[in-house]
Amino acid sequence: MPETANIKKTVLINIFPLFFLLLAACSINGLIFNNTHQAHVSDDFVIVKTTAQDTFSSLAAYYLKDPDKGWLIAEFNRMTTLIPGQELIIPLSPFNKGGLKAEGYQTVPILVYHNFSNKRSDKTAVSQDDFEAQMKYLKKNGYHVVSIDQLLDFIDYKEQLPEKSIVITFDDAWRSIFDVALPILIKYDFTATFFIYTDFIGGGKAMTWKQIETLSKIGFDIQCQTKTHRNLAVPKKNESFKEYFESIEMEIGYPKKLLKKKLNIDCNFLAYPYGETNNLVIALLKKHGYRAAFTFDRKSNPFFVDKYRIYRSVIYGSYDMDKFKENLSVFQKNELK
Amino acid sequence: MKKSITVILMIIISSLFSGWAGPLDSFGDVGRKVPEKTSEKTLRNTSVFHSSYYLIKAKTYKNNDELQLALFFLKIAASLSPDDMEIVGKISDLKLTIDNKSNKYFKKGEKFYNQNKFEKARKQFLTALRYNPDHKDALDYLKNRLIPKEYINYTLEKNDSLKIISNKFYKDPELAFLIVYFNNLKSDTEPKPGEMLKIPILEPEFNQTIGDRRQDMISAKNLLGEKRFQEVVVITNKILGNDPLNKEAIKLKNEAFYQIGIQLSSQKKYFEAMDTFKKITPEYEGVNGAIQEAIQHELLKAENLLKEKKYEEAIDLAEKILGYDPSNTAANKLISTSLCQQGRDLFIRKKYDEALHVLDKADPADDCAEKIRLAVKKAIKEQAEAHYIQGVKHFLNEELQSAIIEWEKTLKLNPKHDKAKKNINKARSLLEKLNKVK
Repeated sequence: MPETANIKKTVLINIFPLFFLLLAACSINGLIFNNTHQAHVSDDFVIVKTTAQDTFSSLAAYYLKDPDKGWLIAEFNRMTTLIPGQELIIPLSPFNKGGLKAEGYQTVPILVYHNFSNKRSDKTAVSQDDFEAQMKYLKKNGYHVVSIDQLLDFIDYKEQLPEKSIVITFDDAWRSIFDVALPILIKYDFTATFFIYTDFIGGGKAMTWKQIETLSKIGFDIQCQTKTHRNLAVPKKNESFKEYFESIEMEIGYPKKLLKKKLNIDCNFLAYPYGETNNLVIALLKKHGYRAAFTFDRKSNPFFVDKYRIYRSVIYGSYDMDKFKENLSVFQKNELK
Repeated sequence: MKKSITVILMIIISSLFSGWAGPLDSFGDVGRKVPEKTSEKTLRNTSVFHSSYYLIKAKTYKNNDELQLALFFLKIAASLSPDDMEIVGKISDLKLTIDNKSNKYFKKGEKFYNQNKFEKARKQFLTALRYNPDHKDALDYLKNRLIPKEYINYTLEKNDSLKIISNKFYKDPELAFLIVYFNNLKSDTEPKPGEMLKIPILEPEFNQTIGDRRQDMISAKNLLGEKRFQEVVVITNKILGNDPLNKEAIKLKNEAFYQIGIQLSSQKKYFEAMDTFKKITPEYEGVNGAIQEAIQHELLKAENLLKEKKYEEAIDLAEKILGYDPSNTAANKLISTSLCQQGRDLFIRKKYDEALHVLDKADPADDCAEKIRLAVKKAIKEQAEAHYIQGVKHFLNEELQSAIIEWEKTLKLNPKHDKAKKNINKARSLLEKLNKVK
């Protein structure tokens, strides 16, 4: 009997924990939950014969170490769905960094929103329903919402972007962005960048610093839009050139320091108030370490765009869906042969 | 016993962590690692990955001028058949083609760039980069040299001082602080000759003194409020001469032209109004509507002229409208209708030649003009036949000269009337013989 009791004790103390360890080992190795596919691996590519268990995302996760890069495999193979048994190529590095084709080149639209309304749209405020419809359209029609960092890698000719890439930005830090737009962005799992002018924060209709911090903590990008939202390109009435210079230097330098101090955020990008800039402003941005800056020119961006004059399209509350769609151009025809 | 159970279990688990799936082999695929990396040798025997398949793909891409993809697929084929020297040869040939093509477009781009034809240059550099994504020089042009610079580099000369340089570049020695700031200089130290400085480039707007520009803008706004639109145009032109992209000045100028156009429209000077509206930038709200309204007034005038059967005036007016709005369908239709009606009137008055002359100006696809044209031609043919018969009657009555005159009328109307030609010859020959007998 003591022998039996000892065995039971051994089982309880050793075998059960070890059994769970066994399960963990199996799942880590993919023994139970994964199936297999045949693959030929090279330095530059992998050829795989897919199985029913494979998806673009799972293949990207395994071979490119990034499940979000499934689009790279789909686009290289010019496929939209994966058929089991199909042979496909996984390029292990970007295969078309500038999005150049014989018929033209890739462009990335950047949308910019300002204020929102729960009710009807007006000139400046987009209604909740319109914003929801616009985001739904992007999701349903296969647009990839990418971050400004990803866009900059594309512009710097370092990385490739999905063919239907788009960037979403918000200017000014209106409270309605937090209340109306944010839940919709989260619903559709879209990333976005919020350009804030720091004097506005905490004001009556603006977001609070706490809300800005929340946005940052849940993964949204916070960037600068000057201190007071003055037009950087135009001197004020009776302002001497020196006063103008000192003013714009402060507009550019101050918010960068404040964001770092308050929220430990590195402000690398700036949205020009009213979308306007000039050479002096750009020289100051470079001096202050900004990587890029954004205008209101209604165009989409090729990789060779001027990084300090990146185009953005303002979406107004008065826009219907057709007008919204006019701002989504992802390819510029221009025969390159 | 206790120890041995633990040891055995630990061995099993550690082997599983390291990837050995021995006991699970009975589960088939489940026991294998993901993915199964097939060796080159095995691959060629498995018939899953064939180099020939990828060679065909490479050929297709090459034929479609997608040379980078063609090269990629050739490399895949080479990886699957590493001993195949033919593929190696194809790769090196294709690389050479790619280099040649990309360099050809790059050189074209450089040529355009040196001629300051920057858009054309950009297209060539993009094409070079499409063929060879690693073409560093093409990329340098696209990313650096074709993008406006906000600095110029300046090497200090003997006797240069910051104030002298500032005066040289900005026509104002007091802007030396800019050079100090952007070159991290100390304000009390002068740089030495040979030293390179970054000089920020200021827009032309800063060449006009800031105070002057603001004053001009204020004056223009006031004049607009006083409805002195021509003077607004003069002042905004002055501002834009120094600062062509000044949005505020462009807006004011647009507003002034719009108001001048509206005034001209109210005086029924619609073409002058349209000339004024055309000076406004197209994105200005309401300008297209105002142009269309002016066009409608002129169209109405043209329609009234048509009703009064003043065809040529109606056509002239419609053509003038088309000069402003080339795709205006109403003006085009009005021209067609005028030509058809004018042709019909001339036909009714039996002025067949004039009718045909007018109808020939009409669009051949216009049914109305085509019907009248056919009727005119039929009438001409009938008239020619009547003259021919009259000629025959004269001939039978031995009135040879009269017969010839009739047949000549026939030929004038219908130059292909063979019988008339023959009969004229016959009548002339008879006349000759008769003259000899006499």
